[in-house]
Order: sequence, then structure tokens, then C-alpha cells
Amino acid sequence: MKEQVSIETHPSPPKVMYSPRSVDVEITARCNLHCRYCYFFDNPAVDYQDLDTDEWLEFFDELGRCAVMNVTLQGGEPFVRRDLPALIEGIVRNRMRFAILSNGTLIDDDMAAFIAGTGRCDLVQVSVDGSNPEPHDACRGKGSFKAAINGIHALQRQGVNVSVRVTLHRFNIHDLENIARLLIEELELDEFTTNSAAYLGSCRLDGDEVMLRTEDRGLAMEKLVCLANKYDGRITATAGPLAEARLWSAMEQARTNAAEPFSFGGRLTGCGCTDNTLAVRADGMIIPCCMLADMELGRINTDSLIEVWQHSPVLNRLRCRHDISLTEFEFCSGCLYIPYCTGNCPGLAYSLTGHANHPSPDACLKRFLESGGRVPIETGI
Amino acid sequence: MTDHNMPIANPLVVLREEFDDWAILFNPETADAMGINPVGVAVWKQMDGRHSLEEIVDDLGERFSEVPDTAGKDVAAFVNQLVELGFVGYELKDSGR
Ligand code: SF4
Ligand code: SF4
Repeated sequence: MKEQVSIETHPSPPKVMYSPRSVDVEITARCNLHCRYCYFFDNPAVDYQDLDTDEWLEFFDELGRCAVMNVTLQGGEPFVRRDLPALIEGIVRNRMRFAILSNGTLIDDDMAAFIAGTGRCDLVQVSVDGSNPEPHDACRGKGSFKAAINGIHALQRQGVNVSVRVTLHRFNIHDLENIARLLIEELELDEFTTNSAAYLGSCRLDGDEVMLRTEDRGLAMEKLVCLANKYDGRITATAGPLAEARLWSAMEQARTNAAEPFSFGGRLTGCGCTDNTLAVRADGMIIPCCMLADMELGRINTDSLIEVWQHSPVLNRLRCRHDISLTEFEFCSGCLYIPYCTGNCPGLAYSLTGHANHPSPDACLKRFLESGGRVPIETGI
Repeated sequence: MTDHNMPIANPLVVLREEFDDWAILFNPETADAMGINPVGVAVWKQMDGRHSLEEIVDDLGERFSEVPDTAGKDVAAFVNQLVELGFVGYELKDSGR
């Protein structure tokens, strides 16, 4: 491999906003489930500890002073915290809106009514990975499907905007049509999002048993493209097979036609999160993103959020990854897709290679094709 | 009866100032947001219920060079837009301030 690209000496880090617009908060390191492909647990570099109510409230006051607009509460499972209403009130008091990412199993009508009553909730996202208990419970545990659907019903009864995230794995790709029917036709959701089990957290331990293989991935891409067309854009993705099908199809067509390079192509442009978002671990450590959980930038209520946001050398290095050309990597040597490729997610690249400033091997079109994969062509883009 | 000449910013609305002196106004109640330029920021900061539109326009003249003749109209249109979005209201004339 060629020498790792160094951007330490970049003349001036990109201009950033005065403060992050959004902050992702892992409000707890506890969960009532133990899903096989959880991205959060089993990271040896992370200290799984919770902060008390007052520490979070102090931090939310700082976010308010910094004019942060949105907080996303995630975990672990946010609803295991008995003080969640008090924490949400702290967010509301500081003139912010919020979203919650949940497994849905602990949400009852009282909690849903409280959330609705704040008038500030953008959405509660519930994970549903099957049209029936079998594929869902296979990875998330017995009884979790029924409880998640009950949680969705409670949110809907109280008028909270519900979104669903479907994580694709080896046990649910043949259930995709039924999942779409359940979510869109029976539960009448406006839309749902998809991704797939990835080499992060617990999934690093037995990912080979759960993650999609090349042939599963091809099948998932084909089915999702059909379903997204059938349901007229109500199935979306920023990662995983549906997102890959769209990007890879465009890349394949561009290469075949020797098209002009894509405006974002040829460099590590796969993620812009560090331009507007920060994240905080359950133990209070500030990190660039929940997928870069051991990249510690500072600690809440000890280090100034603005100072970290504007001056953290680690963060500014990540912000400069857009300038790194894919031609610099031995990994991409000779690849004909370079002018159209973004190198994809730095979090996955970091988990797989130990370097955030590297293309993600998991989302590499060249390797997918070399391993026998096929990309569906007609994707409606 | 209201005094339609003394606008007051909705205290729930957040002003997010950026390095380039532009800013975002964000209403967390409705999730509405709008970008405003440095003149808009200066106007926003004067909307405390104690300044009339005329005073706000005069203040612009002191802060910015080349304020156009249409400034009065422009500021009124901007404030009306903010009123429609619920970002701004008016103090009651006889509210006992
Ligand atoms: S994926 Fe979510 S629900 Fe499952 S163990 Fe992890 S945090 Fe809990
Ligand atoms: S080798 Fe993979 S990551 Fe590199 S440019 Fe080609 S497709 Fe993209």
C-alpha cells in the first residue's frame, strides 16, 4: 500500500458553521434487547456508562446557548431511561426540536402522549425487521416484534410522526415484499428507510452469520429497487442495498458511456456529517459521529462544545477528507470507477481498515463485481 | 388594540449567527427556518417591542453604508413576512410597558 495520505498540513481547514446544527446523543448505554447486529454494543474501545439527569440537562443548556436546532436521542434504547421525560423537557426548554431512535418495545400510550404534547418531536424511528415475528425476532429476540408493533400503534394513536428503519440481514431479505406491505399498506406509514447489518459493534462478533453475502446483496438491491418504484419513493435509504443500487447503477452507466466525472466523484466525499453534526456517547465523550465511537474529541460539561466544534484537530482532519483523491490509495489502483466514486462512509472504513480517511471496502463497487455481484440497472434515477 | 409599528421578536425563535454575519432564524415550534443576511440580522436584533419600523430603518443607516431609498419598504416587507411565519408579533400599545 502507498503511504497513507497526510492532511495534517492542509493550509486551512474548511470553514464551518459557528456551532453544529444537530447533535446525536447516545442518551443511554443500556438496552432491553441484545440484537445480533447492533452497531452500538461490543465496541472494546467504548466505556458503556450512563450519565445522570443533571449532567445531560446542563449539556442541553449549553446546546441551547449554542443555538443548536435538533437533538437526536438514541442509545442503547432511550426509553429504558425513567428520566426521559425530564430530559426531553430540557431539550424543549432550550428551544430545540428532537427525534428518537428506538426499538419501540417500551413505548406505551402515556409516553407517546407526552411526546406528542411537547409539539417538538420530528419523529420517533422504530426498528422493524420483518413482516411477522420470525425474521424480526431471529436477531432481536423473542417477543420484540409484537412489542415494536404495539409501540408504533401507541405513537400513531397519539399523533406522533413515526418512521420505521428496516435493517436487512440474511434472515429477512426474502420477506421484503411483505415488510413493505405491512409498513405502507397496513400500518399506513408515509415512508420507511432501509439499511443493512454492517461490520460495526456486535456485528463484528458474528457478522458472517448475519450480514448479507454478495448474492443476498444483489437480491436485496433488485427487490428494493422494484419496491421503491412500486411504492413511489416511499422507501428510502442513505446506506445499504437501496442506496448502493442507485449509486452503483449510476456509476456503472457513467463508466460504460465514458461520461464526465461526477461533481462529487474521485475524492472521499461520501459523508458530510462533520459539517453540521456532532455526537455524544452515553458516558459524555464528544465524538464526530456514532459510527466513530472511539474517536474522542472532548467531554461534555468539561470541554466547550464550540471549542471542540471549531478547533478539534481530529474533526478538522475529517472535514478535509473531501480533498483526498481516490487515486492516492493503492486500494483503488487502476479502478475505472474512480471518477464516479465517493469512497463512502468513513465510519465503516474506520471499522474495517482502522482509517477513517480511506475508502470503505464494504461499499466498493469494484470488489462487489469481482466477487460475482450484479447491479440492477433500471433504478429510476 | 395593537401598535403595528413596534415589532417584537417571538422569544422562542432561535437566531443562529454564522461567521459570515448571515444567520438562520429557526422556530422550534413549527420547524420553520429561514436564512437572513446581515441587514436582516440587524433588523431582527432591533425587534424588541421598543423600536418602531422607522427607528429600525434609521438604525440601519447608522450601521450600513449606502442604504437605499427603498429601505423602509423593504424592512416593512421583511417584517410582514416574519409576522406571517409567526417569528414576530407586535406589542400591545396600552400594555403598560
Ligand atoms: S440494535 Fe438497538 S435495540 Fe438492538 S441491542 Fe442495539 S441498541 Fe438495543
Ligand atoms: S476501488 Fe472501490 S472504492 Fe476505490 S474507486 Fe473503485 S469502486 Fe470506489
